[in-house]
Amino acid sequence: MLNMWRISWRNITQNKKRFFISLLGIILGIAFVTSMLIADKTTNDVFDYYEEMYVANADYWVLSDEHTYSEDVVSSVLTSPIVTETMLALDKQAFFELEGDQSLNQRSVRITGVNDQSSSLLKLPVIEGSLDNEGLVIPKAVANLLNKKVGDTIRFTDLGEAKVSAIVEYTQLLASPSNWERAESTSFRIMAPLELLQEWTGMEDKLSYVRFQTTEEGEKLFQSLQEEFRNSNVYVQPVVADDRQSNDIGGLYTFFYLIAGLSMFISGFIVFNMIYTSVMERKKEFAIMKSFGYLQSSVSRLILIEVLLLGLIGTAVGVPMGIWLGDMFMQTLLSVFEFDMVYTLNWKIPALIAVVVGILFPVVSSLFPIYNAGKTSVLLTLKMANQTQSSRSLYIVRAVLGVGLLAFVFINHPISYLAILVSIILLFPLLLLGVSRIFKPILKLIFGYSGSLATQTLTKQLNRNANTAAILAVGIAVILLLSAVIESAPEGYENEIRNTYGGDLRVSSESPWSNQDIEKLLSYDAVVNVDSLTEATPITWVNTNGEKRQFSIFAVDEEGPTLFESSNKDNLYYELAKEPSVILGERAFDEWGGNIGEYIYINTPSGKQQLEVLDVVKTSNYSGYVAFMDENHLNNKFGWANNFDVLLTLKDGYTGEQLRNELWLDFSTHLSKVETVEDEIKSTTSALIGMNELILIMLVLIIGLASIGTANTLLMNTLERTTEIGTMRALGFTKQQVKKMIIGEGLLIGLSGVIGGIISGVVLLYTTSQSELLGGVISFQLPLGNIILALIAGVSLSLLASWISSTTASKINIISSLKEG
Amino acid sequence: MIKVRNLKKEFIQGQERTQVLKGFDLNIEEGEFVAVMGPSGSGKSTLLQLLGGLDVPTEGDIVINQSNLSNMTEKERTIFRRKYIGFIFQNYQLLPTLSVEENIAFPLHADGSLTKKKNQIIIELLDSVGLKGLGRKRANLLSGGQQQRVAIARALVNNPSVLLADEPTGNLDRGKAEEILGLISRFNRENNQTIIMVTHDIFAAGFADRIILFKDGVIDQVISRKGDDYAKYVANFMA
Repeated sequence: MLNMWRISWRNITQNKKRFFISLLGIILGIAFVTSMLIADKTTNDVFDYYEEMYVANADYWVLSDEHTYSEDVVSSVLTSPIVTETMLALDKQAFFELEGDQSLNQRSVRITGVNDQSSSLLKLPVIEGSLDNEGLVIPKAVANLLNKKVGDTIRFTDLGEAKVSAIVEYTQLLASPSNWERAESTSFRIMAPLELLQEWTGMEDKLSYVRFQTTEEGEKLFQSLQEEFRNSNVYVQPVVADDRQSNDIGGLYTFFYLIAGLSMFISGFIVFNMIYTSVMERKKEFAIMKSFGYLQSSVSRLILIEVLLLGLIGTAVGVPMGIWLGDMFMQTLLSVFEFDMVYTLNWKIPALIAVVVGILFPVVSSLFPIYNAGKTSVLLTLKMANQTQSSRSLYIVRAVLGVGLLAFVFINHPISYLAILVSIILLFPLLLLGVSRIFKPILKLIFGYSGSLATQTLTKQLNRNANTAAILAVGIAVILLLSAVIESAPEGYENEIRNTYGGDLRVSSESPWSNQDIEKLLSYDAVVNVDSLTEATPITWVNTNGEKRQFSIFAVDEEGPTLFESSNKDNLYYELAKEPSVILGERAFDEWGGNIGEYIYINTPSGKQQLEVLDVVKTSNYSGYVAFMDENHLNNKFGWANNFDVLLTLKDGYTGEQLRNELWLDFSTHLSKVETVEDEIKSTTSALIGMNELILIMLVLIIGLASIGTANTLLMNTLERTTEIGTMRALGFTKQQVKKMIIGEGLLIGLSGVIGGIISGVVLLYTTSQSELLGGVISFQLPLGNIILALIAGVSLSLLASWISSTTASKINIISSLKEG
Repeated sequence: MIKVRNLKKEFIQGQERTQVLKGFDLNIEEGEFVAVMGPSGSGKSTLLQLLGGLDVPTEGDIVINQSNLSNMTEKERTIFRRKYIGFIFQNYQLLPTLSVEENIAFPLHADGSLTKKKNQIIIELLDSVGLKGLGRKRANLLSGGQQQRVAIARALVNNPSVLLADEPTGNLDRGKAEEILGLISRFNRENNQTIIMVTHDIFAAGFADRIILFKDGVIDQVISRKGDDYAKYVANFMA
């Protein structure tokens, strides 16, 4: 058996250059797959980690729809034998007292007072200092921005001062802006001892929430507390790890798998190309083996071992490279998000999966050549019977099938994408011939007769060359589609936000807005309208798989602000008003998993209720991870009485930015947040804009991988045409002319790939923009920058790839090549 | 016109050195038709490759039209070959993706010297090798004899002073071989081109003015049509 491995090794390394290029293709393919698997797992871990940190060991919490409540209200919780641990907290908005010229909103900070900073119901990853319950706990971002260290004092306007006792990593509870620009619209968050905060604010005995851990009988207690708090201003909720309202990363996972799939597809093609050509070259060898009694399976096994060897080496190099690449990718990816998140690379399981994939996918890609090698006919091969040439009729069938599949452009279904990509591959011989014909005069001008010859020689292995160009095209098309989606999505999101934000400015308060406050707001020159906004949050619910989830429910009515889009809006308001029921945002609906007309289980302040889901709607609020309910039902049946937010509509010519400072000054005692519609647009779209850079990197990498395929194909074309090239040289063709001919061929493959890729990308983008699902968000807008990049990268990398083969071609020994003929 | 002096060629494979040509002199006159014969491995094909500038001698000189090939760079030899040498191969070696006309025109294309006038030459050549009307056909779709005619036309298109033919009739039956040899002889007479033809076939060699017999890397015997030995030698082989 060892002997077989040795023979196989000799076979695959016989042509060093071809071996190296094919191996490079496999290594990069496996590396990309590994890195994407790692990115997938690590991203998942990162968000799980922050969710878990947010939940800690807490099982339930008691909150209020009036911001604070008296400690007496929760005495039953504090004294219950079922409760094993409690954590009391009070939130208070305040302002840093700073020496700089920062505005009031930039200095805004939410202080959370807790009775035990080291409670197991609260996980704070300490970088420096200790959780001593005496000083302030601040996140790293705040420490950096305020230039504070442990032991330094921080002063708060009209409250007091305290020393920093600990600096911690990013946590959801203390998520703070890391620059002053971001601080314009987002408050800082820090932690202080509860007693100190109560003393500063005069809110002795007041709490915002109580978190607690229970024994196994927690569910009973939960139900009894729901009953107990039914008609009060407090309510109990399970603590649920669900970060979907603040992070919409579902699309990221699709991105990871798309890139991994694309890499495997391209690498698989490179392996297939190499093995298939090798089998065709060695048909005589197999025929001799079979004439000496080798079985079909023995011949196939020989090729299988060769493929396994390639897969094993590729995996051995590709997986470690992929781990490194995954780390780089994670750093780039997380820098896109606004907060300074930390991560631990989860590489073990992904590496294991990548090892299996790395060994299996070359085998799967080579199944046909492996089978074909075994099926070698002894008599036909030894007679040197001509290989069957692809007939004209085969190309016609291919083209007709390709055109037929193109009709899927007009079919609104996810399968259309696959059909379009298959159609592109099928139509590529035609495209390659067309491009060759169009570019023939240009190539002749640049490369002389070599250029003209390149257009003719390209047709000799039309299928292989067309497939190579098609692979490049598919890579470009998919990446262009992704980049177009990411480029045009901000505009789509902006429109959606402007349509469903409900006003120009959302102003949040710690206490319910009084009539006096509303009158004051209306007295501003800039303000044309003030709408109350009732948001019940956090509200937990159960999806159809029985998993607990958490979101917000907004009150809506016909007279109020527009918070969602629907062609059936008036009817929906009417239906919502009839019976307590909800309509869900798209992401909430998907996560719920039920159908319209079915019931969703929600833990309301009045206890567990089942509410009919009337419809699913588009909304920008919490990226669609939200529900809407009729205002009256929310107040009465649901049990949410107060509203802490108002939506301001401004007169034309005024911006929210102009009003921000005025609001902070006038309502500084209870204002907690001022967010303009522009802030919301910026925070929603900034991650997408950052993602575009990542897409550009992936575009170049995928084109690079596809170019390895081009180099591989051209090298094989060259090796198959040794006699032909030798003859040309014998007839007076110089080395330089041979080089130019091969470069011309590579250029044509690259150009066809890029042109085909751009056309296909545009077709895919058109299909996406017409899709009912994405039509509102994605517009038919060409990513011109990325198209230019694809053109430059595709052509230059194809030139580089063809240069590798051209040097081999120019070094062909004339005499030995003529003997081969 | 062709002067070969002390020509030696050695091949090295691993540790093994094989001396294929062991040093000899040879003069070939302009317009002469020479057949080179000898057993396999005697060095006749190597001589042809060296004369065509496809390889360089280990020692010695090859002077064609006052140019010493041994002193030329690889590129200079290629350009020299393009201008002064025509090649005819046993396996025809036509370029399969090109048409008959394009195959014939290849040396002119390589030189960048294809003009309307030369296009006319191609048509005339096609006619003279008996392939009129087949110019647009793919070369690989022709019969063996037709392919060799295309190869001859290609070798003659740039009017080379030397025509090198390596077993030009090796793959053809006697009738076709006679036609091809007749063509080569005709061009030799009409254009006064020097022809050096390597062959195993005494029938083919019979068309030459002189037969050079090779043995173990040196010239063993030279038989001239003018001499008495020629008829005897040929008759001996034919018997």
